[in-house]
Amino acid sequence: MQSVVEFDNVGLRYGTGAETLTDLSFTLYPGSFYFLTGASGAGKTSLLKLLYLAHRPSRGSIRMFGHDAITLPRDRLPGFRRRIGVVFQDFRLVQHLSTFDNIALPLRIAGIQEKDLINPVTEMLDWIGLTERADARPATLSGGEQQRVAIARAVIGRPEMLVADEPTGNVDPEMARRLLQLFEALNRLGTTVIVATHDIHLLQEIDGAQMMRLDKGRLSDPTGSLRHPPRPLVLRN
Amino acid sequence: MLLDFALPAHDRKLIPEGRLSGPMPWVIAIMLFLTLLVAAIGLSLVDAVQKGGADLAQRATLQIIEPDPVARATQKVEISRMLRNVAGISKVEPVPEGEVRNLLKPWLGNDVIDSDIPVPALIDIRFKNAPDQATLTSLKKRLKTIAPKIRLDSHSSWMAPFFQLMSSLIYLAVAIFILLLIATSAVVILAVRSTLNTHRTTIEIMHMMGGTDLQAARLFQRRVALDALLGGSAGFGAAAAVILALGGRIAAVEPGLLAGATLPVYGWVALATIPLAVTGLAMLMARWTVVSALKKML
Repeated sequence: MQSVVEFDNVGLRYGTGAETLTDLSFTLYPGSFYFLTGASGAGKTSLLKLLYLAHRPSRGSIRMFGHDAITLPRDRLPGFRRRIGVVFQDFRLVQHLSTFDNIALPLRIAGIQEKDLINPVTEMLDWIGLTERADARPATLSGGEQQRVAIARAVIGRPEMLVADEPTGNVDPEMARRLLQLFEALNRLGTTVIVATHDIHLLQEIDGAQMMRLDKGRLSDPTGSLRHPPRPLVLRN
Repeated sequence: MLLDFALPAHDRKLIPEGRLSGPMPWVIAIMLFLTLLVAAIGLSLVDAVQKGGADLAQRATLQIIEPDPVARATQKVEISRMLRNVAGISKVEPVPEGEVRNLLKPWLGNDVIDSDIPVPALIDIRFKNAPDQATLTSLKKRLKTIAPKIRLDSHSSWMAPFFQLMSSLIYLAVAIFILLLIATSAVVILAVRSTLNTHRTTIEIMHMMGGTDLQAARLFQRRVALDALLGGSAGFGAAAAVILALGGRIAAVEPGLLAGATLPVYGWVALATIPLAVTGLAMLMARWTVVSALKKML
């Protein structure tokens, strides 16, 4: 089976500082669900940045969707990025756009016609419970509402891979459960999901999810919370 | 590139277009006002030089400097008759003596000019084509057989310094025009960079979602194009008002050297295309600036 992501001996350093990520080697398969855990400063966000192609590693190789992501020409990056949905830790909503327009943004960037995006965006608004706030600007939304908009924007394009950085950090437990259901539904449709989280309770919510644990920039072996993996998480030295 | 101007309404919202709220349209209006004035001056000078130069190059004045008034009058008649039979001369116009005296009055005074002081007999000559020096020398030689004391002046020779000055002014106008265009381009680049910095987060978000550099560049192009069009229209309006007012003043001046210095119709057409050309240039600069800046992002 072709992998979605393959990291081989990847290291990342910012500037001339010490390596933030060291010797990462793993493979992610299509349709799998991964939780990425680790203490603050362990390198979770840095690893996610490599996964959503915001950074290139300092060393090692990364293959993504069957292509070398490091030597990928710059003009081909947009095509790859459209296959990846991202939930940023700080939401990164466009402040002067409405909730509707923020959620529709990936579809518009992908060139979807206006008539074809109204239904999916409206359904998504309904799913995250923000139909009434469709015209609201992010500044008028609560933290939890902004997070739901950020998640809706990440999943609206049915990406092949979803990368989420603390996606349930600002929502109540009930909304967190609903959002995870959304991720799980997407995962059942074939999307590979990687969720970085501190919340160990989330790990219990998804059957078959696997765990990747980062410790001071190194990937440690999966803990005992790894249950019923659909496919093994391959960790290489 | 023009198609990039017609972005869908929802795409336009990505970079807010604050019409006339920023300094950009006003700066472009001022730059274009100056550019159009310089262009108008340059075009008027070109037209004046072309019209006046061609006219003057075909003209010459013959002076018969014979002190004896009877002999002078006889020579004037004979020379006029002879000139009318010379091939290549289209018009021979003897200037009446009274008119010559009137021309000299402001310099010599009424008392002197009304006395018996001899004044040269003048004959205006118009050639079919601008004569070269050899033609003039040959003609002069023939005329001297009738009147030994003559002087033949080609108008183009005594007007040459004036036209050289006009040409220098045209070059100066072209240089200022180019400098103003460069300054306008620099203003556009600075404005786009400033807007790019303001909306860097939006552009980064677009990038992370698979937006291309050209998609981002189109947003800035449209914004800059609207600013340039608004500023260009204002600049053109102000410049046109000034040019028309100045044209009226020039027309009121006695016919002479300034008479030709009016903006021709093709000049107005050229001026009207400048704001459009500047809009195109601004869009091009915006695209180049944004694409260059975004290439530094991954």
